Amino acid sequence: MMKNKASIVIIGGGVIGCSAAYNLSKRGLKDIVLVEKKFLASGATGRCGAGIRQQWGTRQNCFLAKKSMEIFENFRDYVDTKIDIELKQKGYLLLAYSDKEVDQFEKNIFIQHEYGIPSRILEPEESLEIVPFLNIEKLKAAAFCPTDGHANPFHVTAAYAEAAKKNGVTILKDTEVLGINKSKGRITGVETSKGLIETEKVLNAAGSWAREIGKMAGLDLPVFSERHEILVTEPVNSILDPMVMSFSYNIYCQQSPHGSFIMGYGPENEGHNHRINSSCNFLENMSKKATWLLPPLKKLRIVRQWAGSYNISPDKQPIVCESEELAGFYMAIGFSGHGFMLSPAIGIYLTDLILKEEPPFDITVDLGRFERRETISEPSVV
Amino acid sequence: MIETDILVVGGGPAGISAALACGRNNIKTVLIEERDFLGGQLIKQTHRFFGSKEERAGSRGIRIAEDLMNEIKKNKNIDLYLDARALGYYEEEKIFTVLQNGRMLKFSPRKLIIATGAFEKSLSFENNDLPGIYGAGAVQTLMNIYGVKPAERVLMIGSGNIGLIVSYQLIQAGVQVVGVIEAAPEIGGYAVHASKIRRLGVPLYTSHTIKKAIGNEFVTGAEIIELDRNWNEIKGTEKKIDCDCICLSVGLSPLVDILSQSGCEMVYIPELGGEVPVRNENMQTSIDNIYVAGDLAGIEEATAAMLEGELAGLCAANTFINDVKQDERIEKIKNNLEVLRSGPKGSKIRSGLNKLIKGETFFQGGRNTGSEIEAFKKTGIPSGENLRSILPDEKRINETPFALIECFQEIPCDPCVNNCPFGAITEGTDINNLPKIDYSKCTGCGSCISRCPGLAIFLINKNYSENTSTVSMPYEMLPVPQKGEIVDVLDREGKKIVSGKVVKVLKNEKMDKTNVISVEIPKEFFNVARNIRLVK
Repeated sequence: MMKNKASIVIIGGGVIGCSAAYNLSKRGLKDIVLVEKKFLASGATGRCGAGIRQQWGTRQNCFLAKKSMEIFENFRDYVDTKIDIELKQKGYLLLAYSDKEVDQFEKNIFIQHEYGIPSRILEPEESLEIVPFLNIEKLKAAAFCPTDGHANPFHVTAAYAEAAKKNGVTILKDTEVLGINKSKGRITGVETSKGLIETEKVLNAAGSWAREIGKMAGLDLPVFSERHEILVTEPVNSILDPMVMSFSYNIYCQQSPHGSFIMGYGPENEGHNHRINSSCNFLENMSKKATWLLPPLKKLRIVRQWAGSYNISPDKQPIVCESEELAGFYMAIGFSGHGFMLSPAIGIYLTDLILKEEPPFDITVDLGRFERRETISEPSVV
Repeated sequence: MIETDILVVGGGPAGISAALACGRNNIKTVLIEERDFLGGQLIKQTHRFFGSKEERAGSRGIRIAEDLMNEIKKNKNIDLYLDARALGYYEEEKIFTVLQNGRMLKFSPRKLIIATGAFEKSLSFENNDLPGIYGAGAVQTLMNIYGVKPAERVLMIGSGNIGLIVSYQLIQAGVQVVGVIEAAPEIGGYAVHASKIRRLGVPLYTSHTIKKAIGNEFVTGAEIIELDRNWNEIKGTEKKIDCDCICLSVGLSPLVDILSQSGCEMVYIPELGGEVPVRNENMQTSIDNIYVAGDLAGIEEATAAMLEGELAGLCAANTFINDVKQDERIEKIKNNLEVLRSGPKGSKIRSGLNKLIKGETFFQGGRNTGSEIEAFKKTGIPSGENLRSILPDEKRINETPFALIECFQEIPCDPCVNNCPFGAITEGTDINNLPKIDYSKCTGCGSCISRCPGLAIFLINKNYSENTSTVSMPYEMLPVPQKGEIVDVLDREGKKIVSGKVVKVLKNEKMDKTNVISVEIPKEFFNVARNIRLVK
């Protein structure tokens, strides 16, 4: 039977939607319905690089990342799940190729230490102790945080979803949102491909499709979608501990516990659209970049490439708030590539927001920041 | 980056035909093949093809492969890349990537023709992972490509053409086939193929399925069970069959990975084998510059694959050149394909093709029911009634030798008609019709015997001597018996009826290994004796 009434309809079965569903249900909210167009983690969540980084350059990001990592570290207890999220905490090695970048890293580390994030600066030679085969040509310095890492986004999403279901959340897969009904300035329901769900509250957690969902409610949300490509190699014995990343060289590369290397870089001149096809150009550029930096990868075969859609906000920081124009319309959008790693903390923040409790954290993630010109200038993004 | 007009992926019958169609028209063509030799399934096909003379009916697949491969190598417009594996197609950049010698090659073709064929389906049953359980294709590869005997005693699961043909080939290779089982109530493949193995003594169990494989380290047997009309197991009908190999021949799935990856619109049509690309009658997919041909566009057989390949090649090439002659040929191929699919045995493919595009009917005509008789479809052995319907009258029987065509199922085939030097065999305008002999014209020359792809023609000389008749029959086993040799004479079920003397062995190059053996037997057996077995 189709559930036709809900306290809130969460749109999007990615990690943000599932984390919100779980946290809301854990706090006692009943009649939560989550709708997903395809299957859970079918969008950006299941396509992401899976990294979890705490080495940020702003206080609120350091806070959110640290908070999230604490939850990832204790995921089984926190979410009451038997699912192994395959957390691997072997650090993030961030590479700096200019003096300016080194300066920035030093500033960042100062902030990170305020939040108890155990990061440190390494000389190029020192970074060889962490990745012995790293090409340190042109490398000025590196920043390393041993408790950073990565986890399996499918498992994290599934764990949140299962726990949410146990708490009574209804999850409707293969269900597309077709429209949002309003009456007298209030939300009255969500039209889906499987029928109408009456509700007064909606959470837009539609990732790449966040802007389209906003339009359905008559809102013009300042986000756009952009293709980011990624590839994976065959699995081999474990040789790379940390996620290796560089903002200026523009790369990230990790070895999953399964043994395969997952890597990507930020695209240039990508249009604002929903395409997620793969390009030969990426395959070749990525191979060149990765094998220059990590020469042993030359011997590996690439088994698959794919792409996902970043939902990007003007300051590349998430927008998590209730709409000022339409009461009851909540959004957790514009994560700009960092939704997975922030999902545990964001789920908690959203819950207080929706339950009208005091915000648990002092952060600025509302939509109004753009008008107030209080945008967040995070220096450490790909 | 390698520039080409056409890139053909897959060196089987469809891909080769597509490349040739382009190459013959002076179009720059690249043909890539994953293995280090061309031919696909054709090179394993040692049996003669059905179909019409125009499509080389009566020739063995391996011979067709040899001719096509030679033409590919001679054609200057075709660049052949062997040991070259297709990696993917990037529609955005129009780049097709290929792996050869550990390096990625980049092609930029104007048109792509994908002809990657199919892969074998499997079947779930208890112990189906025991060593000794093979796909029929694997068994054929071992025997016909590598010359390796796959087992001693084989149980074949599935009576489609592949199951029946591979059973026959196994026997030719000296392997015992202990049975063929078929879950449906009727034989899946052509009944003439079934008759061939029945004459060799192979039991055929219709309405049966495999329940489990028996054995610890490897297969030592199989348990089979009968099915009722609703395909439910009938308790108490379990039978144990000793064998060291269970060969699965339960259908093929189109190999469509490259098309799915390219973003072609796909549709699930069980009659065509599963997930297939949506395509128009010119073999063009939903992506304008991608064409398809052969099994990946719908499971059929090699003749259809070759026609589709040529059609795809010409249609793809036609976008660069405009030639009236080509247009005529395109129409002709479409017509030939339609004829090939128009008989009762083509009903499945017709129904599948009609589902391909919503609201579009590929086939208007076609016959779903034929004149074949129920019992024959279940057993592969013609009934008395079947046999009476083809015998000439008593007077003619006693006059001079005459040919007897034991062909009771309407399949698209005509080599007998085209090969009779006296025009005694006709089948009317429809290639699916059963052949008929005008006994006033039949001289009993016997030249039709080795021409029939179904090995279903026999020559009878009833009054060979006062007490004996001779039956001349096609024989494709080794060793070939000698004239004067005493052999066991078998009936249509492969049971010994009497001993007989070989009075004539006809063997020449033109017959291409379908030798004709004439055996002398007591008169009463002239309409029973249909096979021989050498006495050791």
